[in-house]
Amino acid sequence: MELDLFIRYGPALLSGFGITVLCWIVGSLGGMGLGFLIACLYQWSGSWGRACLQAYIEAVRGTPFMIQLFILYYGGPSFGLLLSPVQAGIFGFIIYGSPYFAEIFRAGFQAVPTGQFEAARCCGMTEWTIVRRIVLPQMLVSITAPLTNFMIILTKETAILSVVTVPELLFETQTMAAETFTYIEPFLALSLFYWAMVEFTSWLGRRVERHVTRHQNRQTP
Amino acid sequence: MDFSFQVISHNFPYLVSAARWTILISFLGMLVGLLLGIGICAARLSHHGWLRRAAALYISFFRGVPLLVQLLAFFYILPYAGVNLPATVAAFLSIGMCSAAYNAEILRGSLQAISPGQREAADALGIPPLALWRRILVPQALRIGLPSHINELILLVKVSSLASVVGIGELTRVAQNITGQTYRPLEIYMATAVIYFVINALIAWGGRRLERRLGVGQR
Amino acid sequence: MTENSSSPANALITARGLGKHYGTFQALSGIDLDILKSEVTCLIGPSGSGKSTLLRCLNFLEAYDEGEVRIDGQLVGWQDGKASPRKPVSATKLREQRRQVGMVFQQFNLWPHMTAAQNVAEALVQVKGLSKAEARDKAILALARVNLRDKADNHPSALSGGQQQRVAIARAIAMEPRVVLFDEPTSALDPELVGEVLNVMRDLAADGMTMVVVTHEMGFAAHVANRVAFLDHGKLVACVPPDEIFRQDPADPRIRSFLQTYRERNVV
Repeated sequence: MELDLFIRYGPALLSGFGITVLCWIVGSLGGMGLGFLIACLYQWSGSWGRACLQAYIEAVRGTPFMIQLFILYYGGPSFGLLLSPVQAGIFGFIIYGSPYFAEIFRAGFQAVPTGQFEAARCCGMTEWTIVRRIVLPQMLVSITAPLTNFMIILTKETAILSVVTVPELLFETQTMAAETFTYIEPFLALSLFYWAMVEFTSWLGRRVERHVTRHQNRQTP
Repeated sequence: MDFSFQVISHNFPYLVSAARWTILISFLGMLVGLLLGIGICAARLSHHGWLRRAAALYISFFRGVPLLVQLLAFFYILPYAGVNLPATVAAFLSIGMCSAAYNAEILRGSLQAISPGQREAADALGIPPLALWRRILVPQALRIGLPSHINELILLVKVSSLASVVGIGELTRVAQNITGQTYRPLEIYMATAVIYFVINALIAWGGRRLERRLGVGQR
Repeated sequence: MTENSSSPANALITARGLGKHYGTFQALSGIDLDILKSEVTCLIGPSGSGKSTLLRCLNFLEAYDEGEVRIDGQLVGWQDGKASPRKPVSATKLREQRRQVGMVFQQFNLWPHMTAAQNVAEALVQVKGLSKAEARDKAILALARVNLRDKADNHPSALSGGQQQRVAIARAIAMEPRVVLFDEPTSALDPELVGEVLNVMRDLAADGMTMVVVTHEMGFAAHVANRVAFLDHGKLVACVPPDEIFRQDPADPRIRSFLQTYRERNVV
């Protein structure tokens, strides 16, 4: 293995990794926020509103991420939406992830017994207070694992951003491979970066899970 | 903004005919993924420690590395190793190899739902292990896991779009080519999205029918 | 009582012509009921007779379809007026109305991620706007009233069913409601834990709390209630002092056959 290759291309790979992480974190946090909003709207809207939200969820889940990116990045200018590759990547990530996050949150809402809502309503709490103080903390217990899981799936979807020329990790790796005619080393490095992201995410998920379930096994004699 | 339906109607036949390749790649990928997945699942549950570890490594590698990276590596490395396959074959093989990791895990979950008593009954009758897997365990497991396998197939239809990156003329690639000629990305990609959506809706519909026919979930 | 009968001056809640149906099933019809201040009213009757539905209509957890429920003369849940179909009151208004009514549930419905004290204090902070310290002090006082001061910092999972239900009672009374509704408060408890909950409720009654209790505990109804309302098939059969229900030969055959099942088990 030629180490000087990595010295030469190290900065580019690192900057690619930085952009991958940026798109991943901003995109998935945004997607989580949008998904949460959709789940809340779903919880409190009538049958028409629900049908519309369901249609959005099905449409986004039924189409490839790449096509969604193309519509945003190449099709966007047709309706006055001019985005840089990184902006398109983040924006695309938010839209792509939102229905999956919405489904996770919706299942989380359903896991909280109706009696919990009723008890809170009987105390005169507002719906927002109920969500914030009663539902969310309990829901976190059941949704942490699927959230972590989906965050891990999203780490890998970042690779697709290279197709719309986002200078992320895969893009930089391909540049390196094309310029140096080496394939094994760049792809090994690439795999290490993804592996690190996945490991970090599952470590974080385990910590959060321990934190949100702490009240479940606290037994005082 | 001018949205031209004419562009869509002109190019729709090309898109639909390209969709055949999307369907071919994803279905063949699923076939490879299922067959290979059964083998990997069997290895994962084998008595031999080294087989179990190898299967676990396979699964964690193919689930841990982005499929696009796998595809590119497959296409770069195969010629390097002196193997020359038609691009389409290489594409569904690569997709199938990745899918095998997921299918193996789905199968493992389904197998756990089959009562150990059945295995004992087969042992008592002296049925050899291969026959036990082929005739008793796998058919039941596939049935139990049918909804998850259908989901996996839908996923494959979507990821088959990645094959466009290595130059295969499936739906996404043809859409890119048409866009290059017409400069109408919004219309063409919207139409493409609709085609993907319809394919997936049909698979989901067929899957639900199949589930009802086989009585999945009401054993 | 007729639909237009005036209510006694000391009535806190009045229901007139109250009806509720689910699809074609008539769960309640033509209920006229007065809940008097500082009285304990027990709702009894066979299962499926509409007791819980009636209770849940009183604070609009179930939206009733016919008639009206008034607390201190104010219509609950629906906007007052002649509009048809009726429009529900604003969310803010409904919350204000519900604040006057505490509720204790069969399944306790404590919030599992909070300690006993936090369960009680939560609404004091979020709804009444108390500071955390004030809310905690009040919560401890309320827990002391249900004899659970020493369990203030336990999570529900570390409490017995009877203790959980007492925390739920503390949560309801800490809001200083004008009336507390109890929906089969002891039905989910093991028999040996029923007594501690009933004792707490008896103390509350002695302190002059207005209470409406759906219950299968005939002993409680007979000895603590001021009035007992008997429901059957969604209709109010009688609402009278307990002696008239629990005497040897109740007037109504439906009451007689209902109590017969209890007499056979020597409960009354």
